[in-house]
Amino acid sequence: MRPRKPWHPAALLGPSLLLLAVFVVFPVALAALASLYSWDLLTPPEFVGLANYRALAEGGELLGVALRTLGFSVLVVTGAMTLGLAIALLVHRPGRLFALVRGAVFSAYVVSWVAVALLWMGLLDPDAGLVAAVLRALGLGRVGFLGDPDTVLATLAAVTVWKVTGYAMILFLAGLEAIPPVLHEAASLDGAGHWNRFRHVTWPTLGPTTAFVATTSLILSFQAFDVVRIMTQGGPARASTLFVYAIYEQVFLNLSVGKASALTVVFFTLLLALATLQLRAWRARGMS
Amino acid sequence: MKRALQWTAILLALGIATLWLAPYAWMLATSLKSLKEIAAHPTSFVPREPTLRAYAEVFAAIPVARELLITVVMASLIALLQIALALPAGYALAKLHFVGKRTAFVLVLACLLVPSQVTFVPVFLLFAKTGAVNTMVALVTPFAVSALGTFLVRQALMSVPDELIEAARMDGASEVTVVYRILGPLLRPTLVSLFLVSFVFHYNDYFWPLVMTTDESVRTLPLGIALLREQGTGVRWHIVMAGNVLLSAPVLVLFALVQRQLVRAVAGK
Amino acid sequence: MNPSSQKTPLGRRSFLHLAAAAASSAAGVSAAGAVGAACRPPLPREAGRTVATLWFSYGGKNREVLLDLVSRFNASQARVAIRATFQGDYFEALAKLRTALAANVAPTFSHVVGEVIPYLARAQVLEPLDSYERCDEFIPQLGQKGAFRDGHTHPTVAIPFNRSTPIMYANANLLDTLPSTWDELRDTARRLTRPSVGDPRWGFEVPISWWFWVAMLGQAGGTLIDTDGTPSLGADAGERALRFWQTLVHTDRSMRPPAGRDYNAWQVTNQDFLAGRAAVIWTSTAFLRYLEDTASFPVIAAPLPKDLRASVPTGGTFFVILRSAPPEEKEAAWTFLRWMCQPEQTISWATRTGYLPVTQAAVAQLRDSGYYDAHPNDRVAYEQLSAVEPWPWVPNLFRIQRDIVEPRLEDAVHRNLDAHAVMNSARAAARRPV
Repeated sequence: MRPRKPWHPAALLGPSLLLLAVFVVFPVALAALASLYSWDLLTPPEFVGLANYRALAEGGELLGVALRTLGFSVLVVTGAMTLGLAIALLVHRPGRLFALVRGAVFSAYVVSWVAVALLWMGLLDPDAGLVAAVLRALGLGRVGFLGDPDTVLATLAAVTVWKVTGYAMILFLAGLEAIPPVLHEAASLDGAGHWNRFRHVTWPTLGPTTAFVATTSLILSFQAFDVVRIMTQGGPARASTLFVYAIYEQVFLNLSVGKASALTVVFFTLLLALATLQLRAWRARGMS
Repeated sequence: MKRALQWTAILLALGIATLWLAPYAWMLATSLKSLKEIAAHPTSFVPREPTLRAYAEVFAAIPVARELLITVVMASLIALLQIALALPAGYALAKLHFVGKRTAFVLVLACLLVPSQVTFVPVFLLFAKTGAVNTMVALVTPFAVSALGTFLVRQALMSVPDELIEAARMDGASEVTVVYRILGPLLRPTLVSLFLVSFVFHYNDYFWPLVMTTDESVRTLPLGIALLREQGTGVRWHIVMAGNVLLSAPVLVLFALVQRQLVRAVAGK
Repeated sequence: MNPSSQKTPLGRRSFLHLAAAAASSAAGVSAAGAVGAACRPPLPREAGRTVATLWFSYGGKNREVLLDLVSRFNASQARVAIRATFQGDYFEALAKLRTALAANVAPTFSHVVGEVIPYLARAQVLEPLDSYERCDEFIPQLGQKGAFRDGHTHPTVAIPFNRSTPIMYANANLLDTLPSTWDELRDTARRLTRPSVGDPRWGFEVPISWWFWVAMLGQAGGTLIDTDGTPSLGADAGERALRFWQTLVHTDRSMRPPAGRDYNAWQVTNQDFLAGRAAVIWTSTAFLRYLEDTASFPVIAAPLPKDLRASVPTGGTFFVILRSAPPEEKEAAWTFLRWMCQPEQTISWATRTGYLPVTQAAVAQLRDSGYYDAHPNDRVAYEQLSAVEPWPWVPNLFRIQRDIVEPRLEDAVHRNLDAHAVMNSARAAARRPV
């Protein structure tokens, strides 16, 4: 349609584009610029070229943070997807109990990260916690969980899985709804058992959903912050310092705007790479 | 065989329900215990001497009502602004022909890829310079436009026939009327989804209020509750869990009321 | 002229202006910010009183005691009101303070750890206090003049408040003579360790933290930063301190490196001690009252053991007034600080928490009243002040602590890395210009 007045599109789009420019485009540019300076917010900034990047790369910090974050994401994505799919298959049937399970699992996704993180800190507390007591009752002794650099990342991933499995489940349920019952009936008539029906009917039709859930949760878990900030502050021994927490730490705890910006630039580049994957998955789901 | 399978499904379902519901039950139980009882019986789900003292302590330590109000106002403002701005923008992108339309659309899509975790450092500097740190402005304006919301509104408007808009124009409706009075109600389900997802997300948000505030003037409830976990002399879990109950109860009530819509919104249906 | 600004093609002003220009020309955010600021609750006057804002960072009991003192002060006179805001633990609160300074929304006064004071003083954000009316005389090691090497050569910007030193606590049910040297500590720890899956006990526990490492570095005869400003990090002594921890953790398996970052680890140490899972711990004198009151066993305190000599750093925080505050608020804050330094308040704070009394008058009053005879642990804490090693006045000190040493210590102890290599890399990083 033709706009009634030539300036109408500008007026309609203007506010949105302006705000996006101020709060998205401009910050990305400013981060790139600030990454070339050494600045503590209180004393004058100083141009240092690529020294921030070099310092981060030399100490192995950058690679460490990137690998750790990726490892965390992979744990979360595989965990949440497997559980989400399994639960979706289980509760994709009528009955109050199954409706209750759907609601219960999804509720964790709706509740605040602050509440979930504090709740699990309590549950995992070596003295006052439920989990520790259960382990003691089973004669398993004390497990480090949040306190041991070897287990902390897996523990945070597990808590995240608990929180986000509901999201994967909901999307898989939507995918299951979309499978025409005729397909299953036809397969049954051909004598296919449960497993074969899953393999040859359910799984292939869920393909686009799976790709969508995988990429979306990959990107979301890549941005994890709250869980780290509240449960571990990146420790012990930096074993749970994920990307966004590292940026936060640099700018707010160390007041090193330059290093934080350099980390931001790298983080953004990695996100863009992941997002290309995501866009492909979105298109696939849109078509199905 | 079939029966056995049915029973397995029921048992599994019960197990999963426990895995997700027991933590809430423990949270509630712990919030009703005294510190002594937590030390003696950390795992019991039924407090022997239930007391509301922990809740009283939460109310004494942080201004719960004020922080809740700030949080709700903030989340509502964001959700409403997103809708108010997404409608005209989505309309222009879906229905109008003009030079630069493709560029504008690509720009909106590109912004989908930039989360607030990337922009917070420069945006903080900007607000610091303009004196907006610790104000509602710093909490709301960066989210007033939702790239995702604009995109979804545009998609939904694509399926609205042009004739409808033309007819409205013939009747003398201004563009403002077309956008808010005619297309708005038509997109009700999409807009309700948008509102719910956005409201819940920002009600729960910890990250942005944390980095954009330094004092109590616009401290939101998640920040206040997170501060209850004081360190050094032992966490007082009953107080933390009482705070947790206060923080999650509103969202869980909302969830119970609009579960169907919320699920649909998240599933993107 | 500041040499750094000559090298800078883009000074601080233009850097910030870039942000401001983009913001105001694009969206009128400045105006919106001003409107938002106007909506904030009014601060300056409250029923004719000058209101000074205080950001504080104590948890639990300490918070209750401080708030009690604040409300007593507010009730004691009608001219000044103190509004106290809780900001999380020291490091969280300090982060908020520094960002607030950058954003021009700082409070009237706050309290900060000693290590950051030289940096804040150089950034010129602290109010010089020499022209204000005098407080009571401080204990030398706890005030700015004695807590820092050459502290008297700098204008006074910090007033001691909750000051502490590291100290050793033991579960008196498990041992009655406390180790007085590193070797004795090692033996004691080994003897008291009980390996067990279900109910283990460690002989010794201490947070793997900068503060205790500095103490050990001093005990091993080293100096953190040489008098000429070289960050030697104690040279061999710094490595020896780290190696001692590694020996206890990995060779003897008699020490548990407590889990968690910053104060999480301190809390774990306290919890393990109280639950009988650690026989001897090092932590702050600040926990004296809490541990005595909470433990189900008698708690005995002792000075940290010697290696070559006795040495402890001071810790806790100093009050600072921010230069950016309006003069009448600064005066109001000062009125409160002077009140806090009176013996009655100093004693109330110290005896209810375990922090050290900071004025001569307060100590004299405690001694005369027989307090130290009734509380031998408090006496140990006070007497250990003779072993205090002052901090160097180096603006870089806080960065060396947070950015360079602290992360390396945790990593080195957990993964048993070569102490020499770790400290070499720390020294190299500390020498690198900011």
